[in-house]
Amino acid sequence: MSAFVKLISSDGFEFTVDRKAACVSNTIKQMLSADGNFMENTSGEVRFPEIPAVILERVCQYFYYKLQYQNTPAKAIPAFALPPEQALELLKAANYLDT
Amino acid sequence: MGTVKKGKFKIEPFKHAVKMDPNYGEKTWKILEDAIQEINNHNASGLSFEELYRNAYNMVINKFGDRLYSGLVDTITRHLESIAQRVEATQGDGFLRELKLRWTNHNKSMQMIRDILMYMDRIYVKHQHKACVQDLGLELWRDCVLRQPSIKPRLLATLLGLVRRERGGEVIDRSLMRASTLMLVDLGLPVYVEEFERPFLQATKEFYMVEAQEWMTTCDCPEFLRRAERRLGEETDRVHAYLDSSTEAKVTRVVESTLIGQQKRALAEMEHSGLIPLIQQDKLEDLGRMYSLYRRVEGGAELMRQMMGDHLRETGKQLVLDPERTKDPVEFTERLLAEKDKYDKIVRGACCGDRAFQNAVNSSFEAFLNLCPRAPEYLSLFMDDRLKRGLKGASEDDVDSTLDAAMVLFRFLQEKDLFEKYYKQHLAKRLLSGRTVSDDAERSVLIRLKTECGYQFTSKLESMFTDIKTSTDTMRAYKAKRPPSAPPSEASTSGAGSSEVDLSVQVLTTGSWPTPNAQKCTLPRELEAVCDDFRHFYLRTHSGRKLAWQTNMGHADLKAEFGDRKHELNVSTYQMCILLLFNNADQLAYRDIAAMTNIPHADLQRSLQSLALVKGRNVLRKEPMGKEVEETDVFHFNEAFTSKFYKVKIGTVSAQKESEPEKQETRLKVEEDRKPQIEAAIVRIMKARRTLDHNSVIAEVTRQLAPRFLPAPALIKKRIESLIEREFLERDLHDRKLYRYLA
Repeated sequence: MSAFVKLISSDGFEFTVDRKAACVSNTIKQMLSADGNFMENTSGEVRFPEIPAVILERVCQYFYYKLQYQNTPAKAIPAFALPPEQALELLKAANYLDT
Repeated sequence: MGTVKKGKFKIEPFKHAVKMDPNYGEKTWKILEDAIQEINNHNASGLSFEELYRNAYNMVINKFGDRLYSGLVDTITRHLESIAQRVEATQGDGFLRELKLRWTNHNKSMQMIRDILMYMDRIYVKHQHKACVQDLGLELWRDCVLRQPSIKPRLLATLLGLVRRERGGEVIDRSLMRASTLMLVDLGLPVYVEEFERPFLQATKEFYMVEAQEWMTTCDCPEFLRRAERRLGEETDRVHAYLDSSTEAKVTRVVESTLIGQQKRALAEMEHSGLIPLIQQDKLEDLGRMYSLYRRVEGGAELMRQMMGDHLRETGKQLVLDPERTKDPVEFTERLLAEKDKYDKIVRGACCGDRAFQNAVNSSFEAFLNLCPRAPEYLSLFMDDRLKRGLKGASEDDVDSTLDAAMVLFRFLQEKDLFEKYYKQHLAKRLLSGRTVSDDAERSVLIRLKTECGYQFTSKLESMFTDIKTSTDTMRAYKAKRPPSAPPSEASTSGAGSSEVDLSVQVLTTGSWPTPNAQKCTLPRELEAVCDDFRHFYLRTHSGRKLAWQTNMGHADLKAEFGDRKHELNVSTYQMCILLLFNNADQLAYRDIAAMTNIPHADLQRSLQSLALVKGRNVLRKEPMGKEVEETDVFHFNEAFTSKFYKVKIGTVSAQKESEPEKQETRLKVEEDRKPQIEAAIVRIMKARRTLDHNSVIAEVTRQLAPRFLPAPALIKKRIESLIEREFLERDLHDRKLYRYLA
């Protein structure tokens, strides 16, 4: 099993991220680890037809951000930059990805 | 949502409704339904998780959650119904296997379905308070498959059948059983209990009822217990192997109560192999098994304890009341100790030292030991024997263990003061005759008695030891002053030859010693002189004291010539007096001897008996010959006396145990001694309480005196009356049952 997975945005951009990082999303984690042999599980690729690249990129950044700081005390965590105009889209994506 | 937000946002609702395809819900569901069917058919590899998840997600988001959920229920139900039919259709042994397979598949499918419907689980199910997908799967399986009228009884029958076959000794597929019970447990413990455990327990009960009946007719008690133990082991093993662990306690209880609980009395009372025969034969292992099984059922240990206690009481009673057995005090006590030892071993070895059992044994002992009025005397005689002879050369540990054992019996005695009396007598004899084997052993008995009954109990005994010690010192001082040729005598006398008498005296404190003030016998003249000499010596250092010679306690060594044979005779003071008479005469009548010596009748008879009638010790000859000494008898010096030994010890024929009149006398004395004790107790109590009613006084007195003896209520009442007469107490004017203390 590869240590990386490919996340593909609705507009065709591919993001290759650590499997560990991707698994910050519960949804992706289930997709990749489910007992059933779904397509995603076999190919290591997940397509998101409803998430554009610009949002998916932010999501991937968040995956790593989360991974890096998850065990740090709250005070020491720097703020995660977030352009206001993306907020709604990100919110939806987060809900979808159960992150 | 873990994203960190900065500042405040205002989210505005959409200004215009999003247009939605009216068939959107149905269309999306169709996709999902197809996928679910694919999954149920193990054909998921072509499916995209993301797509299914997204569809379910969108359905929930767009308020089609109900449609999605009910559709799921329908689909699964339909699927399971077809499964149920297929399971039903299997023949014979394949049934369980098929069920297990289907169950595994169902679980796998449900897991995948749960994954793709994760969003529904997270949002819709939570808000609507419905069963999550996983639980839904279990519920549907339970209702659509397990509880089908064609499956439920068949499953149960199959499972119970397998258990029965295994109990019958067959080997069954345990893993299949395990899978089936696990399935039931997975469906929820109540399901397991209802569908399997309860009928299983019922079947177990029936099975063992039959088996118990069968065993009762074919096995003896130990065999029954062995089998029961094995069965219990098997059942536990079975639970570990393929039942839920919660069943273990229940099934064990069922087996215990069926095999042991219901049969416990019949088993314990089995004629040749029940509890009593096992005890008689010291079958510790079987008893241990019995105990470990019986204690597990209600009332089992109690039954066993009671039977054991009753049996012990019964045998003990026979033992102490059997006149044959009570002839020899030492043997009697040894038997008691052996009995005690036996039961201790049983309690320790078979009953894990169970306190309740130990108490039962103890109380039984107490009960029957006190049935025997002579027990205190016999116990004291036993200790006397041990301290005189039995412990010679024994190691310290042996001494300790013997004494400990004796103390155990002592503890059971109710009439401890009677024991004290006897013990004092016996101790006095031992000390005066110097026959005690070991001072340490004597002292350790004292220490034991002291810890058991307190200082009061032993203070007199201790002062006896002190007397002996002081006497040794006095004698040393006396001998140092006297030229060795000078002679004398008392309690203990050593007279040698005719003129030189070597006197040894033990000065005893009156009151500490049990010596009856026997009248003094007439000592031979040469002895009188020595005695007077000692008296003068003693009174010089201890003026104001009174010395009384206890001629009944001493002993003497005499040198005697029988023709050309010389012997040294070791005799009692009385015997010495008698023998010295024969220095001046060859033949004396009984009456003459009595007159010349003043020895009390009984003692004289006894002394003469041992001088004339014991073979090998008969320095006198009696006429006429006969077994008893009569007042008309005449005694001759037996010149023909021979012995292999130079020293001849002539013991007094002293009845080891007391004769009836003596016993009565001791008893009377003890009873007399009790009176002041009871009175003291009453006064103590009344002084503290000022007023108290009759029954409380009795109870209180009994409690206070229990360590010494058990006073009869009538006796207490008499003492109270006597105290009232002497104006220590008075009756209350209004309530006759109430006593007042008069200070």
